[in-house]
Amino acid sequence: MNLLLWSIPHWLLAVLLCLMLRNRAYKACPWFFAYVGFGVAADVARLVTHNHPHPYFATYWLTEAGYDVLGILVMYELIRMVLRNLIRTWWGRLIFPAALLVGVLLSLTRAHAAPPQFSGILYYIVVGEIAVRCVQVLVFVVTVAIVLIFGLRWRQYPFGIATGFGLYSVIALLMTMKFSDFGTSFKFLWGRTLIVAYSFAVLIWIWFFSAPQKPDPELPALTPETWKEYQAMLDQYLKFLRRFR
Amino acid sequence: MFSLILMWMLVGCGVLGLVTVLYFAWRGVPQRAIDDVVYFLYPVDSALLAALLDPATDHDLRWSLGPRHFREAQRRRMRVFGELLRRMAHNSRVLVEFGNALSLDDSFEPGFGSKLHEAAANVCVYCTGARLRLRVWLSLPDGFGLLRTPGLADLRKAADVDGVKAYDELRTAAAEAFARLRPDELDALTRGL
Repeated sequence: MNLLLWSIPHWLLAVLLCLMLRNRAYKACPWFFAYVGFGVAADVARLVTHNHPHPYFATYWLTEAGYDVLGILVMYELIRMVLRNLIRTWWGRLIFPAALLVGVLLSLTRAHAAPPQFSGILYYIVVGEIAVRCVQVLVFVVTVAIVLIFGLRWRQYPFGIATGFGLYSVIALLMTMKFSDFGTSFKFLWGRTLIVAYSFAVLIWIWFFSAPQKPDPELPALTPETWKEYQAMLDQYLKFLRRFR
Repeated sequence: MFSLILMWMLVGCGVLGLVTVLYFAWRGVPQRAIDDVVYFLYPVDSALLAALLDPATDHDLRWSLGPRHFREAQRRRMRVFGELLRRMAHNSRVLVEFGNALSLDDSFEPGFGSKLHEAAANVCVYCTGARLRLRVWLSLPDGFGLLRTPGLADLRKAADVDGVKAYDELRTAAAEAFARLRPDELDALTRGL
């Protein structure tokens, strides 16, 4: 029964991967496709090594590190997809680094206040995982705020990706904090809740990726005409300033 | 303790975000049909906008009026500019929703409405940045004449978006969409924007 419950999100992830391949969604969001593909491969690897403690230990922690790195890359891709041409503005370029910095700092201060029961590289993977969850919640909140304030479009795929990660990360952070507060007596509920939350997140992704998305036109690159316009504006202001010499 | 409070705040913001998403999933994303556009626009005087943001006008007023009179005149101009910004922001919201509807309509080719939507979103961004700065300027006391009265030309660009250029692009994109969908209302649209 436990194995069946544990395997539900993995089967759902496999369904999501098939849907993304069928709808060619890897063109629209390549890093998320890589994340899902990695997830399926990681699940298979963990299942294969399930009954062998040492290989399972190495596989589990290696795949956790992989999830951390890919999670960050998906968030970067998400910000670019939501902002589109606004990513060229100075504040658009700052959103992702700021979220990353805040996530890492939060995780480090949390680890300092309630140290994880690991040492060496495992300590950094656990701290990294909490940092990634914080970044995912921050990016989710920022994308919701940007879309509401600036009227940017709830584009199909980014909206789905952000919501799935937002849901899972909020619950994961909440469970992590309650687990560290209440100790091992909370472990059973913590494990089950995370599995259910992850299943819901994958279901949200499946729902969004079940229909192909209309392709958006390419972002316009800065054309020579645009550069000429900027130069003309600059010349105008310089001419105005020269009057005061 | 401090990190715990911050984490709880982050979780709280995340929960709020999820509730917002659920609300929009239930209510639907705002869209406008073509009949809901022209009559909901407020006219924005381009010549007045250009005059308010002209650095030469700022300079002339600063030289010809004394500091106190310049401050009063500038505050009046700021309030006029604030009203124009409010209209631009409202118009961009209307056109964002219209652009949304066009993009999601399967009867048009993919990407139709995207240009309008992007232009309207840029104007939204500009208006938000400019209004924030304007509110700060208008709320500042005159500092007994010690603080330099800011020039409106500084608001030509806000949040890294050139306001006049962005609004011209919005007009062009809206005119292109209407020329294709409702050419007989193109005049009304141009007057309304």
